[in-house]
Amino acid sequence: MHEWALAEAVVSTVERLYEENGRKTVLAVNVLIGELQHIEMEIFSVGLKNILAGSPFSPDVFHFEIEKATFRCNLCKGDWLLEQHTDLGEEELEAIHFLPEAAHVYMRCPFCGSPDFGLEKGRGVSIKSVELEELLR
Amino acid sequence: MIDPRLDVIGKRLAPVKRIIAVSSAKGGVGKSVCAALSALALSEGGYRTGLLDLDFQGASAHLLLDVELDFPEEESGIKPLRASNSVDFMSFAVFSREHPVPLRGSDVTQAMLELLAITIWDPLDFLLIDMPPGIGDEILDALRYLPGLEFLVVTTPSRLALHVVERLLAMLCELKAPVVGLVENMVRPGSDSSARALAEKYGTALLGSVPFEERIDEILAEGASGKPLSGNFGHSIRSITARVAASGR
Repeated sequence: MHEWALAEAVVSTVERLYEENGRKTVLAVNVLIGELQHIEMEIFSVGLKNILAGSPFSPDVFHFEIEKATFRCNLCKGDWLLEQHTDLGEEELEAIHFLPEAAHVYMRCPFCGSPDFGLEKGRGVSIKSVELEELLR
Repeated sequence: MIDPRLDVIGKRLAPVKRIIAVSSAKGGVGKSVCAALSALALSEGGYRTGLLDLDFQGASAHLLLDVELDFPEEESGIKPLRASNSVDFMSFAVFSREHPVPLRGSDVTQAMLELLAITIWDPLDFLLIDMPPGIGDEILDALRYLPGLEFLVVTTPSRLALHVVERLLAMLCELKAPVVGLVENMVRPGSDSSARALAEKYGTALLGSVPFEERIDEILAEGASGKPLSGNFGHSIRSITARVAASGR
């Protein structure tokens, strides 16, 4: 359930932006969920609703987009997707779920075997945009 | 793109009264040993203490404190593990076990932010951080993201160590980062050191000298099993941590 900690982080950012922008109504919060972290969306949503209870934000304004994880080898420049790693066991996936950088511990470039690769996108939870109501005077 | 973790780190660390990075620009001076023993001594002195190992690539605090690396319990985040029945503990090693951790700088930053954002610390008097050697990503990120961070700087009497450590003190001084003091580790009888002069040069205190100890593994094992730190060595560490505790009053 550490998804709750990340949901709380998202709400904290929205709260900050809300205060910094004169408490304008929040119309939409577009959240990007990286595939690598294997976030359980149901747990994340329950956490979000719980944290939002009593806040000025409705859970309905939160929209989620899953971003595929892609990697690039710094050595051979090969590109690949997470789904190509069929060799990861339950323990390894659990470690990456808690801490996505554990991918560098348990994954290697499928082309040259190097541990020196970069995660191009699809790491974890980030906020793509927050849309606020424009006040008409 | 907005990183929401930055907005929750302050909240996560709010229950911690003091955060102290046990640091040294020089490797091999005994930072991890000093951090682990100081955590045990503070806990022995009745202070609620945590230890966060930010030396991702060379994580060793779990070995020093004999922490069994199980995945953490989850509540509304992850709960620190417990070392020696008294010290709350978190490390990258909880997830990497004894495997190599090949990380580039940006990955180090990401991993640090993640651990800071999801670890739910209970109220603590002290959170000690075992820092990696050098003046790299971890130290710059710690300065950037940890509110009220203080530094405990470790050296040995060696001229080489003192020279390299001076660079860290110079940077901390330039940045006006609070330095609790300098600790001189692995001191042999008759050692002639300029550690005190170095501390004075940068307006800080030499908190104490820790004797070179052949029985270090044994003492650590005793401490990790909950026994008080023994001998002159234990006395030195206790005296240093008492000065650290007093420095915050």
